[in-house]
Amino acid sequence: MKFIKSIYFNIKKYSFLLKQLVSRDFKVKYKRSALGILWSVLYPVLMMLVMGFVFSNFFKASMPGVSYLAYLLIGLVLFNYFSDATNQSMSSIVSNFSLINKMYIPKYIFPLSKCLFATLNFMITLIPLYLIIFITGTGINFYHLLLPYVILCLFMFSLGVSFLLSAIAVFLRDMYYIYGIIILMWTYLTPIMYNFAIIPEKLQTIFKINPMYQFVNFAREIILYGRMPSTISFVACFVAGTVMLIFGSFVFKKVQDKFIYYI
Amino acid sequence: MIDIENVSMKFNLGMEKNYSLKQAFINFLKFKKQKKNYFYALDNINLNVKKGEVVGFVGSNGAGKSTLLKVVAGVMKPTTGKVIISGNICPMIELGAGFDMELTARENVFLNGAVLGYTKEFIEKKFDEIVEFSELNEFLDVPLKNFSSGMIARLAFSVATLVEPEILIVDEILSVGDMSFQKKSGDKMRKMINDGTTVLFVSHSLTQIESLCTRVVWLEHGKIQLVGDPKTVCQKYKESQERK
Repeated sequence: MKFIKSIYFNIKKYSFLLKQLVSRDFKVKYKRSALGILWSVLYPVLMMLVMGFVFSNFFKASMPGVSYLAYLLIGLVLFNYFSDATNQSMSSIVSNFSLINKMYIPKYIFPLSKCLFATLNFMITLIPLYLIIFITGTGINFYHLLLPYVILCLFMFSLGVSFLLSAIAVFLRDMYYIYGIIILMWTYLTPIMYNFAIIPEKLQTIFKINPMYQFVNFAREIILYGRMPSTISFVACFVAGTVMLIFGSFVFKKVQDKFIYYI
Repeated sequence: MIDIENVSMKFNLGMEKNYSLKQAFINFLKFKKQKKNYFYALDNINLNVKKGEVVGFVGSNGAGKSTLLKVVAGVMKPTTGKVIISGNICPMIELGAGFDMELTARENVFLNGAVLGYTKEFIEKKFDEIVEFSELNEFLDVPLKNFSSGMIARLAFSVATLVEPEILIVDEILSVGDMSFQKKSGDKMRKMINDGTTVLFVSHSLTQIESLCTRVVWLEHGKIQLVGDPKTVCQKYKESQERK
């Protein structure tokens, strides 16, 4: 109880700083571009179109019963969100060293602000996603109300990974390269571009351990198939999110006092 | 107000080497154990500062002055010992920490203010005051990267001294800006001191120290060499510097 109270007070105390950090990222990102914030919509749309075109025309990828484009985009949007959030958070401690070295600011603010920034960007990419959902005739249904649940779980998961990565990156700069490879492997191990059914049955259970599969699958069940995700799906998303967040914060808290000697 | 009890700060000089996996791996192959090469930046410091005191710190480069201020500001955790503080602190260890060069002066005031822990309403209320004090109203919407370093320092000083903190930590910043701004910032400091702010102050200018401080601490190699009234300590410190 006391712990939760202190978290609440800290969030209240530093909410303005968080807002400022997020809005700084936003301003800096679009400062020099002619189209500005429009890129947030345009970029994912163009990227999705390229990928959709390549996969459905060259690889003849298709999904029985549903639109392949919508199938691909749901996976892409969710996975890009995770990859953006974690990649940006990873360098957040190191790149904000000039601040950490001179002021007392709770250090978790930096990965947290990057994750919030990525979430904001993700929200914007939902616009083109819904556009595609309508264009492909996938349609909308009552279960869409459950999407915030999976987004929240994915946010917790991303934040947990971010805490872990940003702490490791302080001690081991090689992490930038290592994580680049990991995320590439992760993209292919998650059924984003291909049908989950092509995986040999023996391996399917192992693939299901991947939390990213659980999040993507949950969203697809709702958007593509218009049905209630299974109870296991609900539990898996929640457990993946909370366990990762707790583990990440625990590690971060444990090593944060040592950051200053290594940056 | 500030209680520094048995504070020691230990740095591991060998740390630099184990930066990358490659290095760690090479060291491992060579059976090279990392040398335990310790360095005490602060060695068992005890100091008690009362409310309203202005304490100056002198000492040669690397004596531990800045490290001590950082420990008091909460930026670093001491290896052993503890620091007890009552009252809110305004650390001015380096001006403009948290400025983003891509953003305009106006945006940076808010960002830097947030870093210093001010609320949005407070900054909005005091915004004109900041602008007036920094004399930068023509350049408010210019990105900071086009500012001169003196202009940046002015802006930073104006934001940092906005609140009336109970404890002010100052590390060599009174030398910012041109002559007229130096006088202005010096006056502001004096006003804060007269209002009863406790100040910890690092400077290499002994004239500044003698004119502002009520007590001076001379640090050397992480240890307190001498504590006392400004005149005697500065005199002794000057003699030792001249002997070198």
